Amino acid sequence: MTGISARRWKKFAPLFLLMLPGLAYLIVNNYLPMFGMIIAFKDVNFSKGILGSDWIGFKNFEYLFKTKDAYIITRNTILYNGFFIVVNTIGALALAILLNEIRKKFFQRFYQSIIILPHLISMVIVSYLVFAMLSSDTGLVNKSILPLFGAGEISWYSSKQYWPYILTVVNVWKGIGYLSVVYLASIISIDPEYYEAATLDGASKWQQIRTITVPLITPVITMMTLLAIGRIFYSDFGLFYQVPMDSGILSETTNVIDTYVYRALMNLGDIGMSSAAGVYQSIVGFVLVILSNYAVRKFSKDNALF
Amino acid sequence: MKRKMIMLSAVVAMMLPLAACGSSNGNSSPSGSASSGASGDDGGKSYELTVAYFSLGSVPKDQLLIEQELNKITKTKINATVKLLPISMSAWQNQINLMLTSNEKLDLMPLLGTTYANQVAKGQLVQLDDLLSNQGEGIVEALGPDYANAAQIDGKTYGVPTIRDLAQSYGFYMTKDLADKYNIDLSQVKTLDDVEPILKTIKDNEPNKIPMVNATNASPLTSFSTRDTLGDDMGVLLNNGQDLKVVNWFETEEYAADLKKMREWYLAGYIAKDAVTVKESKSDIIKAGKGAGSLAVMKPGFVEQESRQSGAPIVSVEMLPPVAKTSTVTNIMWGIARNSDNPEKAMQFLNLMYTDKDVVNLLDWGIEGKHYVKVSDNVIDYPQGVNAGNVGYAGTGWLFGNQFLSYVFKGDDEHLWEKMKEFNAGAIKSKALGFTFDSSPVKTEYAAVSNVLSQYRIALECGALDPGKMLPEFIAKLKDAGIDKIIAEKQKQLDAWAAAKGTEGK
Repeated sequence: MTGISARRWKKFAPLFLLMLPGLAYLIVNNYLPMFGMIIAFKDVNFSKGILGSDWIGFKNFEYLFKTKDAYIITRNTILYNGFFIVVNTIGALALAILLNEIRKKFFQRFYQSIIILPHLISMVIVSYLVFAMLSSDTGLVNKSILPLFGAGEISWYSSKQYWPYILTVVNVWKGIGYLSVVYLASIISIDPEYYEAATLDGASKWQQIRTITVPLITPVITMMTLLAIGRIFYSDFGLFYQVPMDSGILSETTNVIDTYVYRALMNLGDIGMSSAAGVYQSIVGFVLVILSNYAVRKFSKDNALF
Repeated sequence: MKRKMIMLSAVVAMMLPLAACGSSNGNSSPSGSASSGASGDDGGKSYELTVAYFSLGSVPKDQLLIEQELNKITKTKINATVKLLPISMSAWQNQINLMLTSNEKLDLMPLLGTTYANQVAKGQLVQLDDLLSNQGEGIVEALGPDYANAAQIDGKTYGVPTIRDLAQSYGFYMTKDLADKYNIDLSQVKTLDDVEPILKTIKDNEPNKIPMVNATNASPLTSFSTRDTLGDDMGVLLNNGQDLKVVNWFETEEYAADLKKMREWYLAGYIAKDAVTVKESKSDIIKAGKGAGSLAVMKPGFVEQESRQSGAPIVSVEMLPPVAKTSTVTNIMWGIARNSDNPEKAMQFLNLMYTDKDVVNLLDWGIEGKHYVKVSDNVIDYPQGVNAGNVGYAGTGWLFGNQFLSYVFKGDDEHLWEKMKEFNAGAIKSKALGFTFDSSPVKTEYAAVSNVLSQYRIALECGALDPGKMLPEFIAKLKDAGIDKIIAEKQKQLDAWAAAKGTEGK
């Protein structure tokens, strides 16, 4: 090695060392398991071992597309998650901007904590909070709220038409706090001089938001959205399984890929078929990320992830 | 200073992945460290058996004492020690799958009827036939040939049922105070129509009680059956399996009539409005004073057991006679894992669980004088100052081999096991007893049908959906998902099984 490169090496070595743990983590947890993808194409027999088991092509994937339900679950998964992404992003952004405008530190912290609290509650508990609202025997809505308006009782857990709204409300309530904190963090990091200059020029609050805040945190918004799109085929299992209390009647509006796979394989316990579902979800997610990143690149090169 | 920083970051960088590996290993294999620790003092001959089983509550505090006591017996009798590995029921399926897949040390484990055929198809279990005839004669003798062969797949045995109630009868029960209050005589109740007036009485007079309670993810009909479900209800034998024709249960008139009845009951308010989403156990609902009674699977000793759980005396009536089907026999079995290094020793220990009174009672009740005292030859009670709440050990009786060798707890019928033996022997036996369906040739359809069942079945059977409209839709969806293909495959396997049985037997 020449003297120069040795010096450079010395300069960058700590950075590489800092990268090492993260890299090792990624390789061990995210790359090595990819070997397991072959399970999705095999009829796994433990006495033969994973490598020795027979190849069966796409047979493990068939059950995902077997019935008319395939359409319903794919539609539900994409529509719900797509809608969640839009609503949560807009809501969280609005919330973050509002929080940023609060001048009293105490209240800002207070509201922030209140808003992020639902994010920390387990979905099972959330499902019982919802049940406390909607139960037909004792629920708050049926017993106290609907009578106020002179409306009759509604049997929520057997009426599928309400669930798209209920699930969206629960999802926003639970997810918005976390996302808004992410946005708030990037809003805070914007140099205050921009705002000072804008105020001097007589820009209104709304103009400042539109021309300074939003453009400056667009990279963060794009990144968060792209990441969410990558997971659009994965649904929050707790939300779709626990919150409707696993009520079969609702499945037309609550069945998503994850719950379908769970119900299909609960008795069968076939790891080939569950891997097939995982592979299907990852590949569609991967393609969607590439495509949306490509779209972002076309639109504005700086905001693309890669 | 700078050099120090570099060194430090190097050290941290090296340690992080190591720490991560260490902790993840520790999490995934609780038994790994235990077994390696024990193999260290392996003197040479004595083999350590790892026996995993599911526990219904938390691990008892005297677990280790039981293990030590057990090892004293096994050391002298079969020159082996036993490492007991209780796994909570909720984590059981995951844990055991992981252990089997990752080749962890594991010798014996209980098998559940629902996953048995699959475990065999995947090659996770050791074939037991030779072992049974060499090291396990006691097991075959205790079970009797009918029941010992009930778990055969392709003529080979991979699991042995535990000895307990091997048949099931079905009936209705309710709390005694209500029965007395309204002068209800259960002895005349034989059909669902006979149950109806009782439900009406309760509904009219006890507005705060649900007349017909149902369990989580189940309907009243779940505990009322005149068919052999052949394990999963996807293709059943009618009339308790007295002939071998597989039919679609959901298309039968009997099923339609049952659904109609449940719908009437639901609309009349005999079944809870929230039946589909109920999350409490039946006994908890009755205990809380919110329920009156229910249909249930019964056996000798049912009244005592249910009274204890519901916290109030109950009365019951048997409406359908006891029947033995593959599912009632094979729902709890023991098998030897493919991972076992010494299947012979494992079978020897299993043999002890079916023949040795000391081993069975140690696992069921604990240590005499500490966890129980004898009141008479065969009846036991808690020692002074000990009760159900603070006893240091309580096993699961129906799990550890031969329950007929265990003592009877005070309060239960002293002749419980004799009655149970009669119950098992006198039960109607399904002609398909011993047949286990292997779903792997039709697993695509199986998965799709499972989904349809979970969508419609409970809601229909609780009466929450109108069968007039929804039953045809349900049937159409089942057909769409491929239930006919499953039924055809089942018939084929059943015929092959019956033919093989016919030639080897009489």
